[in-house]
Amino acid sequence: MLIYLLKRFLWMIPLLIGISLISFFIMHLAPGDITTNEASFNPKASEESRQKLRELYSLDKPVIVQYGLWMKRMATLDFGTSFASHQRPVFWQTKDKDGNISLGMIQEALPITLLINVLSLILIIAVALPLGVVSALKQNQLADRGITLFVFIGFAIPGFWVALMLMYWTGVQHNWLPISGLESLGYEHMHWYAQITDKLKHLFLPVFISGITGLAGISLFVRNGMLEVLHQDYITTARAKGLHENRVVYGHALRNALLPLITIFGLSIPGLIGGSVIAESIFAIPGMGKLFYDAVLMRDFPVIMGILTIGAILTLIGNLLADIAYAWADPRVRRGVIQ
Amino acid sequence: MISCGESTSNHLSTNTIDYSKNYPPNDGGTLIDAMTGEPSGLIAMIAGESAASAIASNIFNSLLKYDKNLDLTGELAQSWEVSKDQKTITFHLKPNLKWADNQPLTSDDVLFTWQKVTDEKTRTPYGSDFKLVTKAEAPDASTFRVTYAAPYAPALDTWAGLHILPKHLLKDQDINTTAFARNPVGSHYYKLDNWKNGQYLRLTRNVNASQGQAKIDSLLSRIIPDKAAQFLELSADNIDFMGLNPIQYARIFPARPELNKNIALYKELGNSYTYLGFNLKRKPFDDVRVRQAINYAINKQEIIDGVLLGLGEPVASPYKPGTRWSNPALKPYPYDPNKAKALLKAAGYEDHDGDGILDKDGKPFTFEILTNQNKEREMTGVLIQRRLKEIGIDANIRVLEWASFLGRFIKPKEFDVVVLGWSLSLDPDQYSIWHSSQQAPGQFNFISYNNPLVDKLLEAGRLELDPDKRMKIYHEFSKILLEDSPIVFLSAGYGLTAIHKRVRGISNPAPPAGIGHNTYEWYIPKNYARTEISEH
Repeated sequence: MLIYLLKRFLWMIPLLIGISLISFFIMHLAPGDITTNEASFNPKASEESRQKLRELYSLDKPVIVQYGLWMKRMATLDFGTSFASHQRPVFWQTKDKDGNISLGMIQEALPITLLINVLSLILIIAVALPLGVVSALKQNQLADRGITLFVFIGFAIPGFWVALMLMYWTGVQHNWLPISGLESLGYEHMHWYAQITDKLKHLFLPVFISGITGLAGISLFVRNGMLEVLHQDYITTARAKGLHENRVVYGHALRNALLPLITIFGLSIPGLIGGSVIAESIFAIPGMGKLFYDAVLMRDFPVIMGILTIGAILTLIGNLLADIAYAWADPRVRRGVIQ
Repeated sequence: MISCGESTSNHLSTNTIDYSKNYPPNDGGTLIDAMTGEPSGLIAMIAGESAASAIASNIFNSLLKYDKNLDLTGELAQSWEVSKDQKTITFHLKPNLKWADNQPLTSDDVLFTWQKVTDEKTRTPYGSDFKLVTKAEAPDASTFRVTYAAPYAPALDTWAGLHILPKHLLKDQDINTTAFARNPVGSHYYKLDNWKNGQYLRLTRNVNASQGQAKIDSLLSRIIPDKAAQFLELSADNIDFMGLNPIQYARIFPARPELNKNIALYKELGNSYTYLGFNLKRKPFDDVRVRQAINYAINKQEIIDGVLLGLGEPVASPYKPGTRWSNPALKPYPYDPNKAKALLKAAGYEDHDGDGILDKDGKPFTFEILTNQNKEREMTGVLIQRRLKEIGIDANIRVLEWASFLGRFIKPKEFDVVVLGWSLSLDPDQYSIWHSSQQAPGQFNFISYNNPLVDKLLEAGRLELDPDKRMKIYHEFSKILLEDSPIVFLSAGYGLTAIHKRVRGISNPAPPAGIGHNTYEWYIPKNYARTEISEH
């Protein structure tokens, strides 16, 4: 097992290099760079000055040389500084000679996105599990049809539209929830419990929207897993020996039906750091989605590469964790019966 | 979790307050506005984007500024003189100027700012105008003098756009990375109080302000990227001020009387115009008759009505109507399809094969209208396409993402016709857009306009610092430009603003400089101020 882990771990290094190389070249395939965004199409900004900027950012060098420069910095875990945002560090805070700290862009955006995504994942699991189980137990009955219809509506409905409607209803028509942003003005002067209430009020709609649109996948997965398990011989055996139906369903069937979900959760770890551009723009949340989107529009290469690299690392770790968790949960995998 | 027991938001019971009463000006209050983007820093020469200059222009002063009629006047400078040979400009600073941190503001700071903007290591795209200065000096604390190799009339405009930075805080700093950009000290009405990344910037009054005291205590700019969300915040009385789009202005507001009770709408001519530009290197656009024909074939009022919902004006020159530089005698080409057909016929275009499309030498008259992803420009393109079809020209529309639009089509000049916008600049100098020497890839005369007469006028206009003589030059330039029709002036949209009625002192109708020209005189009567959570 240890050797297997070590092997998997070492494999990640060439994979990472490959991923970063491909990302870097694809990024440079897109036309333009930081000096060619729409705002810079300004007769007051001369072509010579723009050329000078390109040189200062090493953008005049061949792509392979630029990749080398980037790798050199990455070797010391230096993600560099943003082109567009006044040289702010991409990943983690730095201190200048006068002791001023500038916070990293990912450092600031990540916790916000992580919080929203973890909360909505919890919401999804809490709602999707029972929905899936009920659907499976009442297969093809009214409850099943109703649930399937409901989760598909949630999946198909445009999130931004629901978001705007709910913002209007809860924020403009009724003063129940704040409309956008992360904190109320004057947040700093609130008591800690008022701060928590304030945060939760602001997070309610974003979490709710991302939860409702994510229900379909998990609940259908649970439903199908349950259906498969419920037809297995050992369930018949459990029923035959007179176990209570609840125990059959939750003790025997559900536990086995949940196994494939481990893989899904492993794969959703990198998703946890990716925010939704649309939701973050509408709710004015300075998270990862908005950060990445703006960086792409501005051709802010260090920020793009920083986010892609961290995403790649987390994807690989997520895969690894999923495999480990699978082995832990399923004795057949652990003993090498199935690989 | 969502109960409303302890409401911490700023909601007032808005429906019960009557905002129609008049109160004399008083100090205090907070004005909350919304912006779609966050500034990257507050040193405008480095940051470059509009969000940065919007905030920074409340914090920093320039030597000169534009007054409400868009004429130059002193800001930090009390007066300025131009030497007889028009090469040297001497600025005299106002007495007793101070930075927000109580340090004196002197000509040394101005000199320092000039050194920084022209420094090779400074990452600014705006250095070239200032590099024309051959000698800059500060002979005493209140005098700043610059000498140019040749007279350079746009110089005064450039000094109205350069924010003066404090030498005592920046002299040992790398201006590209300094923490000062996020913690600035300036000399204007406001100073930065608090910047919450991704959420808001709060400015408070600067007691040392060089231009006197503003009435409103603090300006809060919330960052809300989505315009629809901004509108909801405005409706719920959480922001006081936002820019509207034509649909919000002309459709939503009239349909929602309850909004009009609390919110006043303003419109003013914006700072840019939309045009159709020809690639003059390509046939048949090198023929002035063809360009004029297309100009006559396009119905500009239809574009204003259809795209801008009537919220715009036709223009006939690249200058803001009503200002000194705009030639009042010029009128846009009227919509006249018959004249267009006659001109095309004179240029050799007729429908010989009867397929409804004009042709010449067996080739049909067809071309591509190129524009970037901008809804208004796309719609403009569609309206033009239809009008051209009516006179027998087959135009296709192609819409592109900005960077590829610029990199693959504009720079290598691989286009027939573009729909784009230019700003209605405050200084009349348009050398970089129209002079024949400015056609290299990446330069701004990408339509390859080449008219020796215009070249001469543009050169003369740069050498003449006397406003009246300059005005004559540019009136003549605009006249030739209109006749020559290298571009078709389409429309200039209005800037549309919604401001809560609690804010008073706003000039309506707006002078040429726009409603924002006197924000320091705006005030919020005490009875109308929001209930704010106590600070500190």
